[in-house]
Amino acid sequence: MLKVLSMVAAVIVWGLVSLTLPPEIFPGPIETARTLWGEIAKGDLWTDLAMTMLRVVAGLLLALILGVPVGVLMGLNRRAEAVLDVWVMIGLTVPSLCYAIMAFMWFGLNEGAAIIAIAITAAPSITINIWEGVKNVDTRLVAMARVFEATRPAIVRRVLMPQIFPYVMASARFGLGIIWKITVLVELIGRPNGVGFKLFYWYQLADMKQVLAWTLLFTIIMLLIELCILKPIERRVFAWRPQVAV
Amino acid sequence: MNPVIEVASLRKNFKDRNGASRAVLRDLDLTVGAGEFLCILGPSGCGKSTLLNVLAGLDKVYEGQASVSGGRVGYLFQEPRLLPWLTAEGNLDFALTSCKVPASRWSELKSRYLAMTGLSDYRDYYPHQISGGMAQRLALVRALCVEPGVLLMDEPFSGLDEITARRIRSDLLTIWEETRKTIVFVTHNAYEACFLADRILVMSGGAFRQEMRVPIARPRSYDDPAIFQLSRDVIKAFGDEIGRDTVPSAIPASEPGLVDDLDRHAAARMNI
Ligand SMILES: Nc1ncnc2c1ncn2[C@@H]1O[C@H](COP(=O)(O)OP(=O)(O)OP(=O)(O)O)[C@@H](O)[C@H]1O
Ligand SMILES: [Mg+2]
Repeated sequence: MLKVLSMVAAVIVWGLVSLTLPPEIFPGPIETARTLWGEIAKGDLWTDLAMTMLRVVAGLLLALILGVPVGVLMGLNRRAEAVLDVWVMIGLTVPSLCYAIMAFMWFGLNEGAAIIAIAITAAPSITINIWEGVKNVDTRLVAMARVFEATRPAIVRRVLMPQIFPYVMASARFGLGIIWKITVLVELIGRPNGVGFKLFYWYQLADMKQVLAWTLLFTIIMLLIELCILKPIERRVFAWRPQVAV
Repeated sequence: MNPVIEVASLRKNFKDRNGASRAVLRDLDLTVGAGEFLCILGPSGCGKSTLLNVLAGLDKVYEGQASVSGGRVGYLFQEPRLLPWLTAEGNLDFALTSCKVPASRWSELKSRYLAMTGLSDYRDYYPHQISGGMAQRLALVRALCVEPGVLLMDEPFSGLDEITARRIRSDLLTIWEETRKTIVFVTHNAYEACFLADRILVMSGGAFRQEMRVPIARPRSYDDPAIFQLSRDVIKAFGDEIGRDTVPSAIPASEPGLVDDLDRHAAARMNI
């Protein structure tokens, strides 16, 4: 409820501020919504959106495939931790633009390169989360399971996974935040479609209304994913957790 | 009585922060007969949990021999160690599945031990929704449900109120008399030890210092003056042992304060 109120307030503030500026520079919410509606009515918006989503999802999956095993390895093995932690830091520090440029120069201006660049950017932060999660595993519970004669696979599935899962969720979420941003950037420099491409296109035509319309679209989609997919999953999976009074 | 637990010259070292090795168990010898109820009494930090970890097969890094036969080993840890994402019943089911107890027996076992510990109405509660003492009792239920032949118990009743603890102690004796498990029961509480045990071993500094048989006939009553009498002797022996512990020069000069603390701590936990 508070969330909705704050959003309504933000839209009102946006409207008020836009009144003080000419619409070419800062269009208000109504104009922006109208422009967005126009784009939706035209219909080719869906291709761009679909392409962006495809890159986001593929990038996230690849990032998890790369990031989770490395994180698990670092959590379990001291030596691996010592060797890899510098690389994770380096991976985290290199600007995502560098990955994008390198990927396009090495692999060509294609979809694969885009997805690789996206995944490489997000993987280090995923690794850090999982690493943390594995290190925090309560080994006393593992000992308990062993006393009760649980088999190795059962221990992994019923004692370790539930402990690590919250960290996987957190890292997927965190990764998603990073991935949205890098995807738009990658599309801007190396893809012929997608939200980022469109934003750049309208930027070159200096059409502020369209730029805001696309930004708005993007934000709405992100919020929907957060509220309609991630939150419900979390609520179901973590039903057992104590409610924290806020 | 053929022995179920046999331990010979068991030594266990831990590395402390500086990497120096410190003996926690020193040449322990222990034989526990089938169906015996043994209590181990000792001050905090004397190595009781370490010994149980070895007996449970969790700790495999030690010198000497330690063997446990006589069926499944149940271990009631010093902390409840419940899986927080499972309900009370879910935790029991986890143990029953892991130990491959036939599903046809589950409901009977669960109902019986839940009723005994007064937890029948809490099957659907998550561990964070029950009190510490209830969690401890639930852990006891979990350990009993899988019907171990040898049961290791690490201060299982120390977090319970005295009334509940008394009731569960009696129930534990009933179960033990019915099933004749071998029980190794660690406690700080001399009275509890005298009420429960066939035999009491006083442990301090990683070794057994005294052995006492409990000649009181069973079934025992908790208010039996003989138990009170015996517990006083045990406390005296126990106090002597800890007192003696401060003397040896093996302990670095900086430590007497610590030992003093332990002493007071132990005395405070004797519950009498
Ligand atoms: N993993 C470990 N690494 C290093 N030292 C340890 C470890 N576990 C136990 N110790 C040391 O071994 C000694 C005995 O510990 P233990 O847990 O067996 O004591 P305890 O008799 O069970 O005490 P309490 O009654 O307080 O539970 C302690 O001095 C403790 O510091
Ligand atoms: Mg202990």
